[in-house]
Parts: sequence; C-alpha cells; structure tokens
Amino acid sequence: MRDVGELLKERVSTDLADNVCCVEDVLGGNADLIKREFVYHEQRNLTGIVFFVDGLVSPKEIDHSIMRPLTMHTAELERFQHAHLGPQFAEEIKKHVLTNTGILLFDKIDTAINGLLSGDTVLFLEGCGEGFLISTRGWEARSIDEPTTEPVVRGPRDGFTENIRTNTALMRRRIRDANLQIEGLQIGDRTRTDINVAYIKGVVREGLVEEVYKRLQSIRIDGILESGYIEELIEDAPLSPFTTIQSTERPDKVASSLLEGRVAIFVDNTPFVLILPTTFWQFLQASDDFYSRYWAGSFFRLVRFIAFFISLTFPSMYVMLVSFHQEMIPTALALSIAAGRESVPFPALLEAMVMEVAFELMREAGLRMPRPVGQAVSIVGSLVVGQAAVQAGLVSPTMVIVVAITGISSFAIPNYAASFSIRVLRFPLLLASGALGLLGFAAVFSLLVLHALSLRSFGQSYLSPAAPFQPSEQQDLVLRMPIWMMNRRPAVAGADDTRMGPNQMPAPPDEEGEGDESAESRMADEEEAPNAGKGKRKGSRPWRSGKS
Amino acid sequence: MKVRITNGMLMGLVVNMVYAKAIGLTQGIMAREAGSDMWMATILSTLQGMAVMLITVIVMLRLPEKNMVEQAALLLGKWGGKLIAALLFLFFLGAFGTVMITFVYHLMDYFLPEVPVIVFILVGGAVAVYAVYQGLEVIARMALVGSFSIIALNVLVLFGSIYQFDIRELLPVFQNGFVNTIKASRHNDTDWAMATLMTALILPLVRDRLTWKKSAPLAIVYGGLFVLQWPILEAGVLSPEMTGQYIVACMQLARSAEIGQFIHRYEMIMIAFFATSALVQTMMSLMCACMSVSHVLGLKDYRPVILPTTLVLGGFGYWVVLDHGRAMRLLSDYWPPAALAVAFGVPMLVFAAGFLRKKKLAAARKEAEEEKQAQMRKSS
Repeated sequence: MRDVGELLKERVSTDLADNVCCVEDVLGGNADLIKREFVYHEQRNLTGIVFFVDGLVSPKEIDHSIMRPLTMHTAELERFQHAHLGPQFAEEIKKHVLTNTGILLFDKIDTAINGLLSGDTVLFLEGCGEGFLISTRGWEARSIDEPTTEPVVRGPRDGFTENIRTNTALMRRRIRDANLQIEGLQIGDRTRTDINVAYIKGVVREGLVEEVYKRLQSIRIDGILESGYIEELIEDAPLSPFTTIQSTERPDKVASSLLEGRVAIFVDNTPFVLILPTTFWQFLQASDDFYSRYWAGSFFRLVRFIAFFISLTFPSMYVMLVSFHQEMIPTALALSIAAGRESVPFPALLEAMVMEVAFELMREAGLRMPRPVGQAVSIVGSLVVGQAAVQAGLVSPTMVIVVAITGISSFAIPNYAASFSIRVLRFPLLLASGALGLLGFAAVFSLLVLHALSLRSFGQSYLSPAAPFQPSEQQDLVLRMPIWMMNRRPAVAGADDTRMGPNQMPAPPDEEGEGDESAESRMADEEEAPNAGKGKRKGSRPWRSGKS
Repeated sequence: MKVRITNGMLMGLVVNMVYAKAIGLTQGIMAREAGSDMWMATILSTLQGMAVMLITVIVMLRLPEKNMVEQAALLLGKWGGKLIAALLFLFFLGAFGTVMITFVYHLMDYFLPEVPVIVFILVGGAVAVYAVYQGLEVIARMALVGSFSIIALNVLVLFGSIYQFDIRELLPVFQNGFVNTIKASRHNDTDWAMATLMTALILPLVRDRLTWKKSAPLAIVYGGLFVLQWPILEAGVLSPEMTGQYIVACMQLARSAEIGQFIHRYEMIMIAFFATSALVQTMMSLMCACMSVSHVLGLKDYRPVILPTTLVLGGFGYWVVLDHGRAMRLLSDYWPPAALAVAFGVPMLVFAAGFLRKKKLAAARKEAEEEKQAQMRKSS
C-alpha cells in the first residue's frame, strides 16, 4: 500500500477506477465514508461515483443537486452523445447538468480529500480528466442562542455559534458595507481549521491586517480546536497574566469593534471570536453601555471601575490595615473589626488566603458540577460553610464580608478572561501586603502598573488612551459620552476616522415664528401636513427630513 | 528602532523627578534655614531651575541627536566624554541616595518602624530595576500616571488642611533676609538639578525638538507650582518652626489634615498618591546612572550594567539611609554644593567647549544631517 502523502500528490486520472482506488486507499477504512456508484449516460454506458462523509453533508443537497440531474434528467445528457471526453466534457457537465451553486473542478487528489473532510461531496465521472468538488456541507449545529457568558439587559440576544459561516453571516447582517472583508485561511496540519479574518477596508489601520496575517501564517501546529489556541499563539505578551486579545460571543461587540477599525478573527467550531488590538479598558465595557442612555451607561461603567479596584485590592488593603496599620482605621471601625477577630487564631493574611482559596474552590466546583448540583455546592459553600466557620471562630465576620464583596465585584467585570486575570493578580498583592504592609502593597502594585504599561496589543499601548494619555479619546473610557459626541473613531482606526456627520446633537424644533401656539396644536398641525411648519434642527441632516 | 517619548511625557518625568523629595525633606531643611520664607525660597529656586533647564536645552539643541555625554565626547575628546559620564554617574549616585532617604523615611518613620532598612532598599531597588529594564517609555508613562496622582494629592491635602491655614504664619516676608532666602533656595535647587541633568541625558529621545525649549522649562513651572503648595500649607498650618522640627515635613502636614470623621488620617492616602512620584525618582536616578556607566564603558546599551549599577547605588543608599544623622548631614551640608556644581558646571562646560570648537560642532551637525537624510532615503 502506498504512502498517504504520495497518494495525496496524485493527479486525477481519466480512468474512474484509478481515482476510486486513490480515495479508498486514503480514506477507505472509515465507516463514515459513503460511496455511491451510478450510470449517468446510458447510451455511452458511462459511470460515475460520488464520495461523501456521512454526518458532514446534507443528503438532500446531494440528492437534489447531484444525483437527480445526473441520473433522472437524462435528456440534458443526450446532447453530449458525441462529445469528446476529457476536461472540456467536465466543464460542459458543470455548466449544463449539475445544479449545485458551489462546484469546483479539481485535478489533484488532496483537493478531493480536503473537501471530503470538510463536508463537500466528491464526484468522479468516467471520461472526465477532472473531479468535481461540490459544496454539500450540512451538519447538525446549535442554533443561534443568547450568549451565556455576556448577557445584557438591553441589546440583541443573538450570539455566535460553532459554525463559522453562521458567525460571519451574523456580521454581514450587521455591516452591509462592501468594504467589509472576510478573508479565509486554514490553520492546523491535521485539523485544517477554517479561520476567517474580518475587517473594514479603509477603516482599519494600515499594516494591521498584514501583521495579523503574518502572525497567523507563522503558526505551525497540528490542530486548532478553539480560538484560545490562536490567541495564545499570536498575542504580544505570552508570559503576561493580562489578556491582550479580547474574545467575545457577541456579534454586536465584534461589529462595533470592526467599525472602530479593529480586526476580528473567526475560528470554526467555537463561538468565541477574537478582537484585536485590545486595550485593557475594553474589558470593563459592556455592550449595553452603548444601548442604554449615556447617563446609565456612564454610571454602570463607573460601577465596574470601582468593582475592578475592589476586586484587585480590597482583600490586600484589609489585610494590610489590620496587620500593620491599625492606626489608619477610624477608631469605631477598628474596634468593631478587633471584636470580630478576637477569637480567630490565625493571622489576617492566612485567614484571607484560606477564604480566598475557599471562594475560588466553590466557584470552580459550582462551574464544573452539573448545574443543579453546582447550585447546591454554591449554597452549601457560601452559606453553611461560611456561617459555620464564623461561629467556630476560625474566620472573622469582617473577613467573610471582605471576601464576599471582592467575589461579587469580580463578577461585575463583563469579560471572564479579564476577570480571571484580576483574580490571579489579587494573590501576589495579598501576599505582599500581608508580609510587608504598605511597602509590599505599593511595590507589587507599582510592578503591576509598570508591567501593564509595558504591554502592547498589535502595536497599540495596552493602557491607552489613559497611558499614554490622549485627551481626545477620553469620551469612551471611564465615562461613556453621548453617541452624538463620539464623532471620531478611536486612534486605532485608519484613514477614515470620522464616523458621523457634524452637529448630530438632537434638538427640539425651533419655536421662532410660531407665536404662542401650544405643543398640542403644533402636533395636530404636523399630523395634517407632516412637512409644514417644521422648525430646523441643529445641523444639516437630510436623511432626517420629513420624507421618512 | 529608538524609543521615543513625547514632550508631555518629558514634562511628567520632570515634575515627578522633583516632587517627592521637594515637598517633604527639602521643605524641612529650608524651614530650618529660611523660616517662614521657605515658600519664597521655593519660588526663587523654581526660577533658578528654569534658567538652568533653559541653558541645558540650548546646549542640547546644538546637536539634538546626541545627549550631553555624547556632545562632551565629541567636543572634549573620548576621555573628556568619559570624565563627564563618570561625573554624571557620581551625581546620580548621590541623587539615588537622597531619593532613597525620601522613600525610606516616608515609609519607615510613619508606617513600618520595625522593618529593617535593607528591606526598603531591596524592594525599592527591585521595582526600579524592573522599570529600567522595561525602558524609558514605560517609566515616562508611569510618570504621567504619577502627575495625575500629584494633582489628586495636592487637591486632597488642600481640602484637608485649608481650615487650619493661618496666613499670619507666612509673615513677615523675608524674615531672615533676602540673601538668606536665596541661600536657602539651594536645597530645592538640588531637586531641580536632578531634573535638568536627567533631561540632559534623555532629551534626544524626546520627539518634536521644536518644542523642547518650551516644554522643558514649562515642566519646571508646573513642578514648581505643584511643590509650592506644600511650603505655603506647611508654614500656614504647622508653622515654620514646627515644620523645621521634622525630617519629613509633608507627612506631618498630611497627619494633621482630615476631611470629616472617616478620612481622619491622610498618611496612607499621601503614600498612595506620592509613591508613584517617589518610585519614578528612584527609577530615573537608576536609569541615568546606568546610562552614564554605559558611556564610561563605551557600551551601546545600558541594560548589561543595570544589575552592577543597582548594587552600587543600592549599597550607597543603604549606607546613607541607615543613619538618620548621616542622611540629614548629606542632604543639608554635602549634597547641595556637589549637586549644584555638577548641574550647572557640566552644561556650561559643554557649552563653552562648543563655543570654542565651533568648526567641530558645525561638522558634527552636518554629518548628523547627512545621516538623517540617508536614513530617510533608505526608509522611503
């Protein structure tokens, strides 16, 4: 038996048996490989054969677009009664007989094998020097559902699925721009996973797409099973605890990122799409910041910033104050804390470490257990064990409150990966604060800031636009300014950095010349004649004129 | 590609390079010499700092691609350059010592009296090493963060202590005479000296050289304004006599400040916002020392000398900080004449050398211009 590598290099033969032999030598032992022989030209007694992988194809599609035209619509074939066999004949069959929309003529066996394994159907017809690769992909897939990791109160409910084509379609539905490019490549010597790179031409910064391709094409690996593989193989700071590439299940998030001039990487078989370049602050933004009014959006974002600081520093600050700097705590509060700690036999650092580890344990157990059991674990862990520990005098009530608030704060961070980074970074900070008090806290916090300041994501500073400080970019950082104020794209964008027309701030109609008419009477007038007597709004917005 | 920082970052570095030491230890010393005129001495010192900074920038602009040591090497010869580099290393060795006095005494005297001095030196040194290893751009970004912290700290301390402020404490003006006030300003001049000599080493790495002349002295003005609030408040709240009793006067001011019942101790808030500035001072002193050593040894990159330089600087810092008396003698007696001689002498020496060797300077400028054009052609 010949080597598979050699077989793949073989060319398609005019002899049907040779082609069948090649395919069977490569994939013949597989139970899900289906072979169907048939006669497609009775007068000339020409036979054909289709190969497909069961489960990856749509049988209906094969029936309607391949088998029926070739075996039942024989009248079409009679015109080829005297035609010369060969590649020209294959072209004629493709043009006049087969009804499928995606047909590729190929002359190499490896194209056939790749196509088969991707869900396409391979058709060999006797007398043609080429094979037909026919798009018949159709496997069972999860339907579009609400993303479980990034829920929103207001906003679209659809989320990405495991099917890359569904995911890119969700993008096309949102951005109907001819400049939206979705380019494909395959990565993984064995998995040959489909990867799509999406960006908007003109909006994306020059050189960014090339850099993304450069990094993607340098990947040499046997398989890509999830976008996390890609993330780890192309990120700027592989040793850093910070995530420098954002992943999301939300199509609206990807669409807004593309409109900001970023690049998205879609990976087949995962609902998580990568967005780059990424700044740290993106992880503290939720989609509904932009769907709620800016007051609400800004308020919730502020809450998340506070949650971030609490999540990172609260246990460390508590341990630092209780262990080293009691004089900094207001007297009444200090007495209350001291009363709670009276019976606790452990130092505050050990107490905090144990509680933090226990909290992580409960979280992990609740996540991994089957859902009903997971809930039980959470309830038992948080209520029963916590209460019992306090009553037994092993943990102080204040510590339970500190750890609980820290845990809740970490849940307020919308991105799980970022939340995890912060959870991990909490521990060195806690240890340093417990060991050296303010000195340890200041040193480790400074090291973290220095490290974050040194990071870049595809050429963009990780902490921008805060550091380096860009005054014009502050409108979407801690506060979310009104959409009509955000008329420019972020600095990451390319040449086309204007996203809306001038003077988009809405205003009521100008009342000049309308005397003391009441609003009701004006509305009644407008109902009668929609365009009559309409005051000017700020700026020129022809698309908002009474035509609609 | 060479690391480049913006003019804004340079301004942030200058402000941070001065602030931490100037608001506390320097003011204590000046209070002992100038009494209620400590704020006048700060203003005079800021003006002197601006003048020296302007001279330094003018010297640098003659050959903007080269730092002060490289210019010295060109004009005074290889060994002349090495001598200047060695002098700058000694300056930053001393500066590191004074910065460590600031850093350690703030934390040790007010928060962690039982922790050995060596721990402070090791921790401060470790943070500085990491930052210097990351490079100037990262430190400059940290300085921008530090600038915001400085503003926040100033506002908080102002709110917390304004109710105790008594303007009569600032009177009479020139209590100890005008000459004495000018003389006392030399202590704050040593803080500006760190900023001007740092600028002399890093200015070629700052973008947009057309605004150097504006941004560098302006940074001194901003720094001066941020610092000036402290002697005024220290004199007006604590009284000049009381301020002079403390080594770290700013911490005493912070201790007396309060807002309501629950912000009754400012020291920790003070450290939270002040730490960045103190650490930027440590980082930049170490970085400039490393750059000087690399020039002495003729190395292109300063990174190989980070660890040995840190050991030398850390050792000196430990020796100085270990004894409060020794530290204060260094700060008030030995450091001002030494620091000011280098800060004023080196730019003037290089300026004079350039004046005397105009032809060489012109040739070097022409060569740099040709090199720049060749690079532009290459990149296009």
